[in-house]
Amino acid sequence: MVSAESATPDEQLVEATLRGDDHAFAELSRRHKKRVFGVASRFARDAGELEDICQDVFVQAYFKLRQFRRDSPFEHWIMRITTFKCYDYLRKRRREGPVVSVDAMLESGHEPCAPEAPAPHPDLERLHAALAELSPKERLVITLLELEERSVREVADFTGWTETNVKVRAFRARAALRKLMENRQ
Amino acid sequence: MNETEPHADDGLDALFALARAQRPDTDKAEYAFETRLMARLRATRETESVWARVSWRLMPFFAACVVGLAIWHSEVAAEANEAVQVALTENPDAVDTWNNLN
Repeated sequence: MVSAESATPDEQLVEATLRGDDHAFAELSRRHKKRVFGVASRFARDAGELEDICQDVFVQAYFKLRQFRRDSPFEHWIMRITTFKCYDYLRKRRREGPVVSVDAMLESGHEPCAPEAPAPHPDLERLHAALAELSPKERLVITLLELEERSVREVADFTGWTETNVKVRAFRARAALRKLMENRQ
Repeated sequence: MNETEPHADDGLDALFALARAQRPDTDKAEYAFETRLMARLRATRETESVWARVSWRLMPFFAACVVGLAIWHSEVAAEANEAVQVALTENPDAVDTWNNLN
């Protein structure tokens, strides 16, 4: 069993998990959940969806742990899974239908991500509404680059795209977002 | 480059900065996450192990089905071949038509 207080490296926790130590995986998820929740909260519509995305990320990590190559940190690997899961949710949502506003969610009994957060700035609401209208790939690249402040290289690593591809998609996404924002003024 | 672009981008950058500053608070959602996750993992493993056990137990049945289907198929194919040969022997004019079809 691995103590939550010990400073065991992630790689050792991975090894212990592969040997069947569930506590080691619980410790891994405790260490990395903040980052996963942070990114996922940029994409999730409500607290339920946020929980689903984060659980899916760690469940996939658990069952594919043998595929984790030790050539990069565990954090990069888990962020890659998070990126793919968020992208999957964006695509699924697009297939399902139109965007649901926060007001509509509250009326339907859904709890938004941060109910105790202060009322968002009107311009910010406009930005989020415009972001919701972008294609999943555009939204992904803008969110990771601009809201999460990840580098082009990191985004390329998380998405599997080339750095040039990330730059081109980011340029197009900004142009699309600018246009959507102008239309909303 | 369009002269209005830098201004438009300035506005967009300011909005991004505002959005970065208002990071959603996930502390409440993170509470006891490991417990819920491990419960889901246990449930998933149990379901998978039940399916794996059932699948392995049904393996002889599936194997018997495959062998039975293979035998039945070969018998049907042999009968069909025989019927075609008889038809062609009885009606030699049909040989050309049969060859064209194949």
